[in-house]
Formats: sequence, C-alpha cells, structure tokens
Amino acid sequence: MKKEPGMAYNMKTLNKVFAILSVVFLIAIVWVVLDDYIRPWKVVQVKGMKVKGEVLKEKILAEEKSIDSEKLAEVKSNIESAQKNLDANEEKVETLEDDLAEVRKSIYLQNMTNGENGSKSQEFQFKYEHAKVAGHSSHEKKYAKKMDAFKALFAKGKDDLKTYQSKEKELIASLKLLNDEKVNAEGSLKKLTGVKSRLIAAYESTQPSPVWALRNMPFIDFLDPTIKIDQIVVENVTEDRYFQQVPRVDRCTTCHLFIDQPGFEDKENPYRTHPKVETLAVGLKSAHPKKKFGCTSCHQGEGHRVFDFNAPVHTPQTAEQGKEWAEKYHWHEPHKIPQPMYPLNHTEASCTKCHGDQQHIPMATKLNEGKKLIKTYGCYACHKIEGWEHLKKPAPSLKKITGKTNKEFMKNWIWAPHNFNKHSKMPAFFNQSNNKQPEHKVKNIAEVNAMAEYLAEKSEKYKPLVKYVGGNSENGKELIQTIGCVGCHQVEGIDEPYNLVKSRKGAYLTGTGSKVDPDWLVSWLKKPKHYQADTIMPSFRLSDTEANDIAAYLMSLKNKTFEELEFSPLDKKVRDDLLVEYFSAFEPIDAAKKKLAVMSDHERTMELGKRSIGKYGCYSCHDIEGFAPDRAPIGPELTKVGSKPITQFGYGQQHDNVGHTRQEWFSAHLKNPKVWDIGVPKQFKDLNRMPNFYLTDKEISSMVTVLLGQVSDFVPLAGKKNLNASEKLAEDGKKVVEKFNCQGCHKIDGVGGDILAAYEDDYNQGPPYLVKEGHRVDSQWFYNFLKKVHPIRPYVKVRMPSFNYTNDELNKIISYFNAESAQVSFSTKPDFVAADGSVKWLPGEKAAAKEMWDELACTSCHSGGFNNEEAQGPNLHFAKKRLRPDWVQNVWLKDPTKVMPYTVMPNFWEGGTVSAVEGVLGDDPKKQIQAIYKYIYEFGYDKSPTPFKHQ
Amino acid sequence: MKDIINLITAPVYSFSAAVIVFAIMIYKIEAFASKTMGKILMGGTVLLICWLFTDPVFTQNFFLTNDNVPIIYLVLLVAWTTWYSLYKGINNDKRIEQGLPPLEGTPENREKVWAWPNLVYTELFCMIAATIFLIAWAIAFKGPLEEPANPTWAPNPAKAPWYFLGLQEMLVYFDPWLAGVVLPGLILVGLIAIPYIDTNPKGNGYFTFKERKFAITAYLFGWLVLWNFLIIIGTFMRGPNWVFYGPFEVWDAHKVLASNNVNISEYVWVYLFKTGIPSNIFLREIAGILMTIGYFLVGVPAITKLWGKKYLANMGAIRYYILVFLILMTASLPIKMYLRWAINLKYIVFMPEFEFNI
Repeated sequence: MKKEPGMAYNMKTLNKVFAILSVVFLIAIVWVVLDDYIRPWKVVQVKGMKVKGEVLKEKILAEEKSIDSEKLAEVKSNIESAQKNLDANEEKVETLEDDLAEVRKSIYLQNMTNGENGSKSQEFQFKYEHAKVAGHSSHEKKYAKKMDAFKALFAKGKDDLKTYQSKEKELIASLKLLNDEKVNAEGSLKKLTGVKSRLIAAYESTQPSPVWALRNMPFIDFLDPTIKIDQIVVENVTEDRYFQQVPRVDRCTTCHLFIDQPGFEDKENPYRTHPKVETLAVGLKSAHPKKKFGCTSCHQGEGHRVFDFNAPVHTPQTAEQGKEWAEKYHWHEPHKIPQPMYPLNHTEASCTKCHGDQQHIPMATKLNEGKKLIKTYGCYACHKIEGWEHLKKPAPSLKKITGKTNKEFMKNWIWAPHNFNKHSKMPAFFNQSNNKQPEHKVKNIAEVNAMAEYLAEKSEKYKPLVKYVGGNSENGKELIQTIGCVGCHQVEGIDEPYNLVKSRKGAYLTGTGSKVDPDWLVSWLKKPKHYQADTIMPSFRLSDTEANDIAAYLMSLKNKTFEELEFSPLDKKVRDDLLVEYFSAFEPIDAAKKKLAVMSDHERTMELGKRSIGKYGCYSCHDIEGFAPDRAPIGPELTKVGSKPITQFGYGQQHDNVGHTRQEWFSAHLKNPKVWDIGVPKQFKDLNRMPNFYLTDKEISSMVTVLLGQVSDFVPLAGKKNLNASEKLAEDGKKVVEKFNCQGCHKIDGVGGDILAAYEDDYNQGPPYLVKEGHRVDSQWFYNFLKKVHPIRPYVKVRMPSFNYTNDELNKIISYFNAESAQVSFSTKPDFVAADGSVKWLPGEKAAAKEMWDELACTSCHSGGFNNEEAQGPNLHFAKKRLRPDWVQNVWLKDPTKVMPYTVMPNFWEGGTVSAVEGVLGDDPKKQIQAIYKYIYEFGYDKSPTPFKHQ
Repeated sequence: MKDIINLITAPVYSFSAAVIVFAIMIYKIEAFASKTMGKILMGGTVLLICWLFTDPVFTQNFFLTNDNVPIIYLVLLVAWTTWYSLYKGINNDKRIEQGLPPLEGTPENREKVWAWPNLVYTELFCMIAATIFLIAWAIAFKGPLEEPANPTWAPNPAKAPWYFLGLQEMLVYFDPWLAGVVLPGLILVGLIAIPYIDTNPKGNGYFTFKERKFAITAYLFGWLVLWNFLIIIGTFMRGPNWVFYGPFEVWDAHKVLASNNVNISEYVWVYLFKTGIPSNIFLREIAGILMTIGYFLVGVPAITKLWGKKYLANMGAIRYYILVFLILMTASLPIKMYLRWAINLKYIVFMPEFEFNI
C-alpha cells in the first residue's frame, strides 16, 4: 500500500493497534483488581459460612425435635380463638385505636408548644435579670411582663399534657384488656419456637444474598464488609520488634473462625473448635480467654500474617504431616523466622514463659512429664537452667565409694552402665558411635581406669554401722514390697501388684548383689545418712533383722555376666600421651613432656583420673573429692535454648537427615548426642562428650517440649502468672516435697501417688491422699510428726519414713500445705472449749452425742483405745491434737468421700444434708456433727502417741 | 562438565576469559558483527538457557528467584543490542569504504514525517504496552518481599539490588571509600564528562565502528566487562558470606575458603627484607605509596608516548589528561583484581590509622 506523504504508517493500522492495546489494557486492569481482591483467607471465610450453615442446620433439626408438637398445636389454637374473640370486638377496638391516635397527636403538639414556651420564658428571664443588674428599669419591667406571660403559658401547657397522657394510659389499658389473650398466646408461641426462629435467622445470615454480595464487592468492600480480617491485639504478652516490645496482633481468627465456639469439634481445620475451650484457653471463662491472650502468646508463629497457610508459619508435627500439608496447602519450610509456630505436640512449651515459677502447671501434662524426666535424668546438673538451681545433685556422692563397691565394678560400670542395669539413669559415655573406634577406645579405657583409681584413692574410709549377718530373703522381699521402698525404687523380682509401681526417683535395683558390699547395704538400709549425710533416702526405722532380711534379698540379686567382666588394664603409654596432650594445651610440647617426666607413675594416673572426671563432668552429678561443689557444670546453659537461632545449632554432617527446626535438632540430640560427630574429622579431645541416656521417643518428646519452652521472651508482668504470697510459699514447699518425693507415695491434691498403683484393690491399705492437708492437720502437730514420726493408721503396712529434713525444709512443707488450704499457721481452739480446757455442753447435747456415738458404731473401726478389735481407722484419742476442728466438722464428717473417695468411713451426713441418727438434736445435721466432735474432743488426749524409735 | 564450569567460572578465570573474549571480539569485529554470528550467538544463548534450566540447583537458585528475572533479560538484551549496533556499524563502514553514504544517510531514510501520529501516537502505544507488560510481570512474579526485617538475623548473602551488584563486587577488592564512593563517583563524573571530552562529530546520526574505534572499544570494555560481567558474577556466583560459588554449586553457608591476604608493606618488609614492620606508618607504607604515585607518574607519559600523541594534538591538553586519568582509574580495577588473585594482595597502601587503604 502506498503511504501518504508525511506519514510513516497507515493511520487505520495505527487505530487498530490502539484498539487492541486498549482492550488488553482493560483486561490487565481487571486482572489487577481481581488479583488484589481474591485472597486465600477470603476463600476460607466463604467456606466457613457453609460450615456454619451446616452446624446451624443440625441445631435447627435438633431443636425442631425437641419442640413438643402437642403443645405447639395447643398454642396455635389458642391464638386462633383469641383472634376470633378479637374479631368479635372489631368495632370497639377500632374506635379505641382511633381515639388513641387522636390523643397521641395532641400530646405531640403539646410537647412542641411546651418546648417553645419554656425556652422563651427562660430567654426573657435571662434578659430580665440582665436588665435588672444593668439597672435598665424600663427594660426590666417589659421583660418581667413577657417572662411571666410565657411562664403562665408553659405551666398551663404542662397541665394539659398531663391530661392527655392520663387519657392515653386509659385507652392503652382498655385496648390491652381486649388484646391480652392474643398477646399472651403469641408470647407462649414465641417461648416455644424462639430458639428455633433465632437459629433460623442465624442460618439465613450464613447464606449468600444480594446484600451480602454488595457489601463484599470490590471497591466498596471497605465500607461494611462481612468478609474481613479479624484481629486481636494482645497488650499483655508482647513480642520483640526491633528491640521494642510491641503488643501482639493476632489475626488467626480470620480463618480459625469458630475457634471459640463449641459445636465445631468434629469439623476440619481451620473450622474446628479449640480443645478444652471452656477450661484451658480461648473460651470466655477459660484460663486464657481469646481477647486477653490471643493465639500466638501460646502457639507462637507470625500471628499478624494472614495471607495464606504459610504466612503465619504453621509447623507440622511430623515430616509426614509436612508432606501432607505441602500437597494440600503448598506448605513449605519457613526461613528466617525466629520463632515459628510450635507444632501442636509441643504447644505446652509456651506455658513456661509465664508460669516459670510454678513447679507443677495444671493441664500441662506433657510439660510436667518432661520436667520430671529432666529431673530424673539430671540434665540440670550439667546444663544450668535458671530456676532449677535449688535441685540437689542427681547422683549419689562418691566420697566414700570404696565402702560401697570396688574398683573393678566402678570401671565396668563407668564403661557401660546399661550393661549392668538397663534401667540405669547414669548415661553411657563410652563405646558410642563417635568413640568406639579402636584408636579412641584405647584412650577411653585409659581414662576409665584412671578415673576409677582416682575415685578409689580419694575415697574416705567407711566403717559400716552394722555387719551383715544374713537373713531371710523371702521376708526381705515382703518387706520391700510392703513398707514403701517401691514408692521410689523399682526392684527386680518383686511380685504384682508391687511391680506395677514405676517410680524412678531412686535407682532401679537389680544385680545389687554383684555391686555392693553387704555390710554397707545393711548399714545403708538402717541409717542412710550414716553413709551420705545429705541423702534423701529416708530411714524406715528397720530393726536389725528387717535390715538383714532386706539385704539378704537384695544381695541375692546377682548379675553374673557383669561380675565376670574384666576391665582392660591401664595402658601407661596411652595415659602418658593423653597427659602430654592436656599439658600442652597452653605450653609447648617439650615443656609438657618435662612436666610429665617429673611425675611418678601414681601421680600420673591420679592426674589423668582427675582430668578425665573434669572432662566428662562426673562432678556435675556426683560429689567427688577434689572438685569444689560450686564448680561450673560442664554443659552449655539451657535457660534460653528455646530462642537460640536455628542457624547456631551445629548440624555437622546431618543437614539432610535432621530437620531444620529446634524440636528436630533437640530430638536428634537426645536420641543420640554423638550424631553430630558422624563424618566429621575430629581429634580425640574434641569429641562430643554429651553421654547417651538411651531415651525412648516418648521421653524425648516430653523433654523437647520443656527445652522449647526455655525462651528469652520478655513477658510483661501483667501478662505473666504472678504468684501471690501464699502461692510463693506453696511453690517453695513443693520444691521440698519434690526433693523428698512425698508425692511418690501420697497423692497430694490430685497429683502423684505413684505407689498407689499397687493398692488399686483397696487404697485404704496405701498411703493416704493428702487433700488440703493444711486444713486437715494442726501445724504444730504436723511439725512434730514430720520430725518424729508416730503411728496413725496401724492397719497400713506402708511406713511413713523418717526423712532427713532441715528445720527450714520442715517449715516450708508446713507453710506449703497451709498456703494451699488458705489456712493460718496455728489453729484456734474451738468455741465450745472453756478457759480451763473443758468442753461446754448444751443441755442434752452430751447424751445425744453419746447416743450417736453408739448408734453410728464409731468404735467398730476406730477401735484404738476402746476395744481390741482390729482398727480400720485412726485412733480417735489423738484426733484432738492432730486435726483442725473446722476440718473435722465442715469437711470430713460432712462428706468424707470428698477428701478420700475410697474411704471406708461412711458418709453419715451426706454432705450435711441429712440426719445421721433420726430423732437426735432435732435432726439438725450441723448440730449432730458438732455434738459428735465435742464428744471426741472431750475424750481426746493432749499428746500424740509415742514416736517410733529413730535411727 | 558442570564441575568444570563451576571451576572455570571462578572470577580469576572467568574475568580473564571475559577480557580475552572481548579482545577477540574487537579484533575480529567483522566476523562478530555478521548475521551468521548473530544467529549462532542467539541460538547458542537460548540453548544455554534451556540447558541451565535442566539443573535443579541453578533453577532453584536463579530462575525461581524473582529478583533474578531482570538479569536474565539484561543478559539477552545487552548481547542483542551490542551485536545489533556493531552489525549496523560494520555495515555502514563497508558502505563508507565503497564511497556510499551510511544507511541512515540515504535520501529515502532522510525523508521527514509528521510527529503526530507517527511519533506521538506510537509513543502512546509503547506506554500502554509497557504498562501491560509491567502489570503482567508484577502479578506473575511477586515482589521478593521477605519476613519483617530483623536486625539480629540479617540475610546471608546480603545483596544490593541487582543493578548495584557490580559495585558490590568491587568491594571485594577495594576499601568502601574507594569502591563505594570514589570509583562510583568517577563513573558518574566520567559519563557526564563524555560529551565534553569527546568532541568528535563522526558517527552522529548513524552507526559506525571504524570511525569511532577507540571510543566504542573503551566504552564497551567498561560497560560489558567491568559493569555487566561483574553484575553477573555478583548475582549468580556470590553466595553466603560473599564467597564464590559456581553456578551449579549448592550454596552451603559453611563453605570455607582459605584466603590469607597480605599487604604490600608485609611483602616488602617481612618477605623481602626479612625485618619487622617499621613502626612509622609512612615508612611502613612507603613502597605502596611510591607504587601508587608511580602508577600515575609513569602511566601518564607512557600512555602518551605509546598511543596518545595523536589524541593529545586533536583534543588539547585538558581533555586529554582527564581522559588519561579516567582510563588509569578504570584500569586500576582489573589491576587490583589480578593482584588479589595472583599474590593474595590485600592493600597496596594500608593505613587503617587514617582509614586510608588502597
């Protein structure tokens, strides 16, 4: 085509190009809008409407079923008949309604007139007063006149209004008279179907409608959308942004729409209701309501990010779940997120940051279990954890070790404790994946030899308290089973149900006969503190025969294969090489060699022994001569390990095998601490020294929860659990209780009672529950009792041991129980006690008490001091001194099952609601209880039974 | 194959290769600027990119990283524009040799047309098309926004925007005040100064190579080798800790490179004279200072004598010496790079006392 002059292009072509470009541009703009408008969380909300609709539909159906159809028909017919009656009076109603309308018109008009007159009168009053002050007498008069005129009008108007109003009232009343029947009938219909109609309304609001569509349309959805981001601002639990503490902003509820609404428990996430919504979290009345704590305070993650599934950094519990999520939600591993969400199985980790001061956190089952395990295995001894400093060293003192066992045993034991006892809490340091190679093994053998030599050399001489004379091992076994050893120890070979108690406070006793010296064992059983002054092992006040019997049983437990092991002798060359390596750390090798040369053979062994004990950190768990008690523990501190950036964890060659989250690293580390050395060329001295505890996966998981919770997060005081004075006392006491493992035998306010597993047939034969113990017993009695145990329940074979408390510890225990029960330390005497200590009786009361005493046959169980029958309950003569009056009257006698559900004590007064003995004291349970208590009080002794003989 | 590429892309080899390729390109300019060569280059590049796509590491590191998309464009566009302009220029050079006017100077190409609609309308088209393109790009490749910045957890590698990566690469070899202030400043000043230094009217309005051989070569060296090539290195081959990674090498943040850099003063006093380092800092750095001064004192007359007499006469002294200064400064970058690679040179002059390091 020929071009026009002055034109390079054809105009028509240009216009066509322009048209095409314009259309494409328009499409691009629509694309922009849609791309901005359609967001993953909106889709979730729209689907949520459907889910809610389903739930409401079910509720409507259920409600429909619950409506009584007969009643409904009746109400409906009532309405019809009322309507008929009303129709009969139609004319009358109409006239009344017309009149009412007329009166209301007048009222309206009158209100307007009154308003005008009132304001005018005030205006002239102001003018009048102004003129008067200014001294304009002519004005003054003029305004006074006007003011008065309007005031008069206003007064009259008000009067008229009242007339109209009373007329209105009259009319309404007469109308009501006619309408009443129908209104009432309709009211009962509403009552019957109200819930259903509200449900239907709610259901309708979940259905898309034109108005709904309009409200959520692009460009106008800023006005009043129904699909919108929901956020909770958590003022009290802040997060760190640029070193600044800012409130958390949680938008999780944008997708987790019904997290706080019961009824969605079986729905797919994100529509599911939160577990324990009413008690633990989210619910309005729960411990952590949504509005106050939000979501990320506990779950962590990026709560303000809402775009799609990845935005808030959800974390899968397992690799499989990760894969499933990747398919379903395009989930991918987060990066550069300091604190991703905890996987659900570790959410309890969060409890620690606010409840760190509490020994036992209610409902945090896994965390409590993990803490218990950390105490069992003594992790805190090598790794400092703030708040755990009060705990004593987890392992026995080795200061008199030669009195207990021999060198050969020590060597074999140190080398592989689990060879001797597969339940050993002592971890394995040697023969592990990073040091079982021959070149490392010879060095380890030299170290173990030297350590045993060192320990033996430094051991104090121990002279046993008594000698083992042999005993009846059957009898010993019976004693072990019944006196309470199993509250702390598991023992090889004992019978059911005693082997059902899985306590791990003390050692698992197996192969004892191959381990310890029999004289030592008897002495230890008789008086543990004779061997180790600060031991928590209590005295069971064993007679010499009993101690020998138990020892006979324990000595019969042999580990023959272990006994026959012979540990390789010390290779002196290897020892010397190791020492040179130690010496040359800060000195040239020649100087190191010179230093070695002047040492005798014995000195060299001792030196290596001491250095090895220091190297492996034995002193962190055991008291060892030559190591100061305050020497820093060997492991890195774990106080803030839950906030340690993932980039700072050493993965060695395990990047592809171990996931890049803290929990996965911790798990791998606890499973095999040596895993990080695999494939890494390391010198002997640099090998990872963390020993292997052979933990189970379940144990690891619980411990990981605890570690994850050790965060550096700052929580403002307002967001934390702040202990009040009595809670603090209780926490102090709980530490002591835990130290001595009281809860190994007693179930204390619902927690503990391990040994009770052996008494499931009859808990009465086991140690008693301690429920609000501070309320039950008198503090002074309690102090004396703990100090010198005396018999209470003769029928219980388990012995309350004599512990080795300090005075401070005793007081802490008592304060704890008092604080937990909201009791003052010392109970006052009851009102009915006269100044001389005698009981003041009301007329006839004592006779009534005696009658009840006989009628209820108290002495048939509480026989102590009354007859020679076998006692089924404590001796009541000592109740006066022991029990608090308020507890006996208002708790125990009222309903003993509330304290001890298993008790044989009958529930005579059934919670203080019924009379125990008819016709006595006017059948008033309160009076009856008081009378019987007075009776007991009167014959009660002012002393406690003679204490057991203590060792 | 990939291992070899990982090895030879190391800056020392790849930079040398780039210089050599550039030299060959200028030397054999007619072969480079032919249509056949253009087809080979274009086809080769496309094949190369297709091949690179097959490597998971490369794809993961680069093609799936949204901020690297413009660099892929850049490589293709720079290659194409360079070839195209040289192709046109060589074409014209042949015409001029035959006594014909350049293609842009033929009568039919000198015909004038209306600004509306020929220019303004088509400009509007371009605007709309560019907007559409940007919208599509922005939606298809989301902005590479990351987590909220966390000062305690900086990204590694911390990279500048892609167009500054050449400058960032210079930081490997120079102190920040030089690589970050003086040299970029000189680049700007030098670019601004071009019209004042270069008063040669040849090539105005038409493509040519032979008439502007020096200007084009000097500029293309700076643009292709010193700027674009360093951007490519900085983008594709610098990983965590700014350590070099081959294009197919996994970015392992723990990669260790032994690089014990030594200063000139240490070479002189410790290695050469076997004495300790003098305590007087000027005495200590005397060799480096002399070398730096010598570079200019010897460099300027040497260039003039070898090559610049004609230019000195044509341009006048001021223009000429500014040009030579700029050339020397430009040359200092590859010189320092090679010194680093060859003898682990850290600094020529090392005076941290004054924060003056060259």
